[in-house]
Amino acid sequence: MIKGDRIFGAFMLVVALGYILSARGIETSFMSDPVGPRVFPYMVAGVVILCSLVMILRPDPDEEWPAGPMLLQLGIALVALAAYAEAITPLGFLIPTAVVSGILSWQIGGNPGRSVVAGLGLAVGLFVLFRVILGLGLRGLPAGWGF
Amino acid sequence: MKQWTRAAAAALLMTVAVPATAAECIAPANPGGGWDFTCRQIGRIMTELGLVPNMVQVTNLAGAGGGVAYTQVVSNRSEDPEVFVAASSSTTTRLAQNAFAGATADEVRWVGSIGGDPGVIVVAQDSPYQNLTDLVEAVKADPSSVAFAGGSAVGGFDHLKVLRMLDASGFEDLRQVKYIGLDGGADAITQTVGGFAQAMTGDLSEITGFIKSGDVRPIAVLSEERAEGFEDVPTAKEQGIDTVSMNWRGIYVPKDISDERYQEWVDMLQQVGESEEWQQVMTENGLEPYSVFGEDFQTFVNEDIAETQEISREIGLIQ
Amino acid sequence: METLSNLAMGFSTALTFYTLILAIIGCFVGTIIGALPGLGPSNGVALLIPISFSMGLDAISALVLLTSVYYGAMYGGRISSILLNIPGDEPAMMTTLDGYPMARQGKAAEALVVSGVASFVGALLATIGLMIFAPYLARVAYQFGPAEYFALYMLAFCTLGGIGSSNQAKAAMAAAIGLGIAMIGLDKTTGMPRFTFGELHLMDGVDFLVAIVGLFAVAEVFFFIESHGKDSAIGVKLGKILVPWKMLRQTTGAMLRGTGIGFVAGVLPGAGASLGSFLAYMGEKSIAKDKSTFGKGNPKGVAAPEAGNNAAAGGALVPMLTLGVPGSGTTAVLLALLLTLNITPGPLLFAERPEVVWSLIASLLVANVVLLLMNVPMVKIFVKILSVPAWVLLPGVTMIAFVGIYSLTGSSFDMLMMVGFGVLGYVMRKLNIPTVPVILGILLGNAMEDNLRRAMVLSNGDFWYLLSSPIAVGLWIAAILGFVAPIFLRRLLKKPPVPTHDPSLNED
Repeated sequence: MIKGDRIFGAFMLVVALGYILSARGIETSFMSDPVGPRVFPYMVAGVVILCSLVMILRPDPDEEWPAGPMLLQLGIALVALAAYAEAITPLGFLIPTAVVSGILSWQIGGNPGRSVVAGLGLAVGLFVLFRVILGLGLRGLPAGWGF
Repeated sequence: MKQWTRAAAAALLMTVAVPATAAECIAPANPGGGWDFTCRQIGRIMTELGLVPNMVQVTNLAGAGGGVAYTQVVSNRSEDPEVFVAASSSTTTRLAQNAFAGATADEVRWVGSIGGDPGVIVVAQDSPYQNLTDLVEAVKADPSSVAFAGGSAVGGFDHLKVLRMLDASGFEDLRQVKYIGLDGGADAITQTVGGFAQAMTGDLSEITGFIKSGDVRPIAVLSEERAEGFEDVPTAKEQGIDTVSMNWRGIYVPKDISDERYQEWVDMLQQVGESEEWQQVMTENGLEPYSVFGEDFQTFVNEDIAETQEISREIGLIQ
Repeated sequence: METLSNLAMGFSTALTFYTLILAIIGCFVGTIIGALPGLGPSNGVALLIPISFSMGLDAISALVLLTSVYYGAMYGGRISSILLNIPGDEPAMMTTLDGYPMARQGKAAEALVVSGVASFVGALLATIGLMIFAPYLARVAYQFGPAEYFALYMLAFCTLGGIGSSNQAKAAMAAAIGLGIAMIGLDKTTGMPRFTFGELHLMDGVDFLVAIVGLFAVAEVFFFIESHGKDSAIGVKLGKILVPWKMLRQTTGAMLRGTGIGFVAGVLPGAGASLGSFLAYMGEKSIAKDKSTFGKGNPKGVAAPEAGNNAAAGGALVPMLTLGVPGSGTTAVLLALLLTLNITPGPLLFAERPEVVWSLIASLLVANVVLLLMNVPMVKIFVKILSVPAWVLLPGVTMIAFVGIYSLTGSSFDMLMMVGFGVLGYVMRKLNIPTVPVILGILLGNAMEDNLRRAMVLSNGDFWYLLSSPIAVGLWIAAILGFVAPIFLRRLLKKPPVPTHDPSLNED
């Protein structure tokens, strides 16, 4: 049973239909433009629908998808990255970087000890690189803690 | 570009913390554009003339065609006596078309204009149209036979130049006028030289090079007088069409500063406009003198906006 | 003659001490990026764009730095191909076929030198080709109106999709996803928001840098987690480096032929360096007398594809600079760079901003010489860097990606969107959907739509106008052929064995 292509195809089909629906709501109040702002999105959605149908009807053999624990691992990475995006503004560069790169390092290398070292090393090393050498306006610690 | 916007916003936030002793000019666009130019030149000359104690700091705050800077000044810095913002015809055009998220022209104080870039209409070298009358007659006979190219989007200042000109010539059905908006004057020229558009409008300064190289032929300049360096190009007025489209270069300041401070800005800008340095900048950059200050300028802005609104309404751009 | 005086002007900018330093740094960093598996030229340049902005480099300096990185990555890709049988980037894939066998026969040093010289020859001649052909193409570009540009964009999508993927529907899907994303934001013509769902951050559209870094760099992290860094490179050994003059003489012909083929492949919009090196290798093999030794350590099998992919990298700059249509993933990223610098590529670029074009070309020439010097005698340094383990490298790259976007936009929304693109990139690669068309779609979507709408204004809504000129018709035919032909050719030309680790990810 081939699933990957079919699921993605079906998903994109829904997205394309939603896209068309959303495009119908674009305001057009126009004079000298026979095409208007809706036609091109319709065309794009049309291509997506066509391709989705091909993917559903003639799927390629499946790749090996992660399952169980690996899926959890990827989920952890995703949450870590998303949290990093939210944390860097309030908490500054050093702490989130050490934590998140430590997590990623552990996930890739699988050794907690050296991951801690990698996380701390990267946080400090990159901070020096960006802040001192490249001169980017990057705050090191949470606001009010100095740096 | 978006990332510049953010970078500029970040830069702005950082500079807010600095004690506000230095005058600051906000250029509502990326470095390299017309507003950036206005800020840098006016700022430099103010410093050179000793009108300000320190260097004038230029901040680029791009986004929404100047809308980001406008709303920023209106809502966050309306009492800041040290900030001024570069403006031009595009600013008033967008205000007229309500493109600044509901902001109106009376939410800031207009200081003045010290120079202008006359509009110009050009055709390809081998075009059958010899003068503006030929072109206008062709449009009147069959509007679909003439496509105008310009460097601004539909409804932008280049488009309005064409519409104002045709409106003044007595052409009624402005909705029929074909216009394609490109990214800047240079692209519009390429399309005209390639024969895809029959005529092109833009600011004189951005077309100077192409006129001199002979790629295109100017048929009318949209100023009161013939432009310096282009004395053989007749104005639209001379050809019987009473229209003037100057892309003026000026500044506005926040609304809630004191009247004395406003008057100081007007005086300072006037001194810049009269300076040797500014005359030189204008010659080097193909600008024409266009000096309006203080109350007169406020009136000018209001009239300009009213006219733009009328045309925009006529073509269905605004309700 | 005009070319020479222009070039002199370019050199006067590119040869200042400051830009020279930038070029050297760029070459060095680029070679490392190219050599490290999983970090290709597209990735490398994309990561560095935001950082070079935050550093406040001016347009020409940024251009010099990043094109040096680009060329450096093209050189660097061969190092891990030869030593580890892992191509550093997709164009270097062909180099593994004979390079790795050479290394196993104890001729790693020779293979590195031959491939380094071949890269130099390919890149140098292609840069000269760029100098000669680009101004010519720039003049032809006056014949390009809205209909022609629309057809040209179609051609770029079709050939990129047709050649770059084994499934036409998936390539088209990828392009359409990119185009769909490009529509987000304010419609330039009417000023009305489209697909923003009231989200203020989307008003200015989706930033292509966010998409590029997400699709390439962040997606890579997910892959490495999945493989537990199995492909990380540890413990590389290399003997003394000597210049094998005899082998260089033997392979001269292969280098020149590879250059020619690669350059032409590069000039075709959408084709790019992978195709260049593939065709160069296949071409060399088909005319060789000693066919049977190909794949078993024939130096010509190293020289031809390396010359081919570097020549294609140069060739791909021709349509990018003159028409604004990139020929490959990496040139798409370079186009993003130019647009961010407020430089609009196109026919007028050569007339209006000659200092930009010619200092770019001059810096390419300088970069080549620097790279040859770096990559032949100093190759050992890069080999050392190859042994950085993935569990340090990948987290580092991810953090650089975040900081790059953060220092530009300062917004969590954009970083979250970047992570989202990372997930999209992971899923797409799992499904064998190419990601480069997405980037191309985001980059070109608005221009493509604008040109369609302009064409319709000019023709009063008559769609046949799109086929109204010989150039447009020719481009449409080429586009259809480029899309359809690979379906049939694929059966004839079986792809060579894919190396164990498939990095089609950083396809060029």
